[in-house]
Amino acid sequence: MSVLQANCPSCGAPIEFKAGSTLVLVCPFCRSAVARTDRGLEDIGKVAEIVDSESPLRLGLRGSYNGNTFELTGRAQMKHELGGVWDEWYATFSNGWVGWLAEAQGRFYLTFYQPLPQGVVVPSFNDLQLGQVISEIPSQTPLMVQERGHGTTAAADGEIPYKLTPGELFAYADLAGKNNAFATIDYSIEPAWVFVGSQVTLAEIGLGDAKPVQREARSVAAAAASCPNCGGPLSLTAPDKAERVTCPNCDSLLDVNQGNLSYLKTLTPPVGAPDFVAPIGASGTFPGGVEFKIIGAVARSVTIDGMKYFWHEYLLYNPTVGFRWLVHSDNHWNFVEPVNAADVETKFVGDTTAIFNGRTYRIFQDAPAVVEYVKGEFYWRVEQGETVRAIDYIDPPLMLSQEISGNEINWSAGTYMPNDQIEKIFGITGLPKPWGVAPNQPFTGRFYYTWGALPLPLLLVVAVFMIPIAGLTKTVENEQITLPPLQNATTPQTAFSQPFELKANRNVRITASAQVDNSWADLDIDLINDQSQEVESVNIPVEYYSGSDEDGPWTEGDKASDATLSSLPGGKYQLKIEGTWEKWQTPMPVQVKVEQAVNRGVNFLCAFIVLLLVPVFGFFRKFSFESSRWRDSMFTASGARNSSDDSSVYSSDD
Amino acid sequence: MLKKLYLVFGFGVLGLYTTASMLGWEVANSGSHSRLGVPFFYSGFHGGK
Repeated sequence: MSVLQANCPSCGAPIEFKAGSTLVLVCPFCRSAVARTDRGLEDIGKVAEIVDSESPLRLGLRGSYNGNTFELTGRAQMKHELGGVWDEWYATFSNGWVGWLAEAQGRFYLTFYQPLPQGVVVPSFNDLQLGQVISEIPSQTPLMVQERGHGTTAAADGEIPYKLTPGELFAYADLAGKNNAFATIDYSIEPAWVFVGSQVTLAEIGLGDAKPVQREARSVAAAAASCPNCGGPLSLTAPDKAERVTCPNCDSLLDVNQGNLSYLKTLTPPVGAPDFVAPIGASGTFPGGVEFKIIGAVARSVTIDGMKYFWHEYLLYNPTVGFRWLVHSDNHWNFVEPVNAADVETKFVGDTTAIFNGRTYRIFQDAPAVVEYVKGEFYWRVEQGETVRAIDYIDPPLMLSQEISGNEINWSAGTYMPNDQIEKIFGITGLPKPWGVAPNQPFTGRFYYTWGALPLPLLLVVAVFMIPIAGLTKTVENEQITLPPLQNATTPQTAFSQPFELKANRNVRITASAQVDNSWADLDIDLINDQSQEVESVNIPVEYYSGSDEDGPWTEGDKASDATLSSLPGGKYQLKIEGTWEKWQTPMPVQVKVEQAVNRGVNFLCAFIVLLLVPVFGFFRKFSFESSRWRDSMFTASGARNSSDDSSVYSSDD
Repeated sequence: MLKKLYLVFGFGVLGLYTTASMLGWEVANSGSHSRLGVPFFYSGFHGGK
């Protein structure tokens, strides 16, 4: 086919099929979908106007992919069965390629038609299972079913390369693979068509300069909206994406249909649920420099052993980046971002570990999470009682969460954020203090038993080097002195040793041995500096007993005992020995020995114990911290189900 | 800050141990210090006269 200039069969206005691959053109004057057929032009019905959005893309934008330039020449807007719309941009390449650039929740996927090998068909829509790998699709990486659902062609603009039928309901499946691989199976055609490509950033396809459309006029219009229940004013931050909004005046849940509000029900906060601490409308700049605004808040709960546990999830919105979540549980905070399901490795749903980005996460919780209460606006048709199976895996400070609903598996990654960081982001103070330990709260005391323990090995090194420096043990005096018999049992006898030399900066050990046998001797020994007359006095009791009984021979005490002194000034010294002993009528021979530089290890032991205290305390803290963390889990740290949680939150047929 | 303080403390203990080893300081298990008294006849007391 070639470029064709013609008149709209509906209104007669001039229209032009610019791209050779275009099958349907939306008449810019009357919005009729004009199909190019073998028999000429055919009016296949009116299409609705594109819902105004903050998309950074627009018709006519030019980009490049793999060195080939393209132009956005068409746009179709699809409505999701659960609410919300996504855009499909038609990219006409200069080399004749036809690509689809899907835009959903701020993410972009560029795909191309992928013919299947002869005789190969993909599984039927009804046979598709979430998580199933579709090996029939040729791809460098296995593609796994992430979502299966229905959509409706809601609106279109420009040139469309297939026969778009306004209002047509179609089935589709989205698949994801590693390294951002992405594919869609379109079941509106028989046999189904497959489109394969990848998730891309606008910068990767040469559209990095595209800026979100300023939608001031739309905001003003939305601000003028009033609640159909109470008439109170309300505003929508993202009216093009909003499917549900709550009235801040009467707590009504309202359905949003292209800006029109209709009353659904009045919400009541659940009993026992804490209040939201962050206000709708608050905005702040998160790590990465992206400014997000809180546009919605959800109170969710999980019931375990009959006890209901609540937490809050705040929906964050940035027109360029899309949606993120801020989770507030037990006054702990997590910033949550979606992740590609195919990048997460698990053997089966509910596996004990999950691998993502090279990190292994351990299962922490697996329970049905229920929406209890909502506030603000949402991009899906949120309902009270909406339930998903939520499985959390942790590798602090990260948490990987899997949510499984009827037709969809979603993975998200949460990063723990301390309270002070949240306060800084929103410019607030006084957030309530966290309770206990959060599942993915990082332990901050690791330093004290890692780098903080560095002095300990250094102490060992220093101790080894100090042995030769401080010198080896040396005997400076060894002499036998005989004390004459005592005059009575209590008056001591005194004797002096020969003078000897002591060196400075070395400790002194005095050892006394006495010939005691089933008796005792009490020796007071003075070490006298001949020059300064300074005296260091030590008491050395010696006692030795032996005998035998029914258990055999026994002994108690020792015939030698010692005392150690810290270093003394160098110089000449003498020992004065003053003693009393049990058998006082007989003389007492005493062997005295004086040694220096005795390596007793006392200093080392004291330093070692002092330095060991903090690391040991750090270990205890870590142990206590981890115990607190896992106490709230349905699983043990090794992945086994806690014995107290034998009564699974799922019935056996789940 | 606490971590820096702890490291200063740890290296302080290490330094103290090294100094004690060099100077022979010991956590001794006994001993009391005194000075011998000056003999009476050198004290200058001569009976109070």
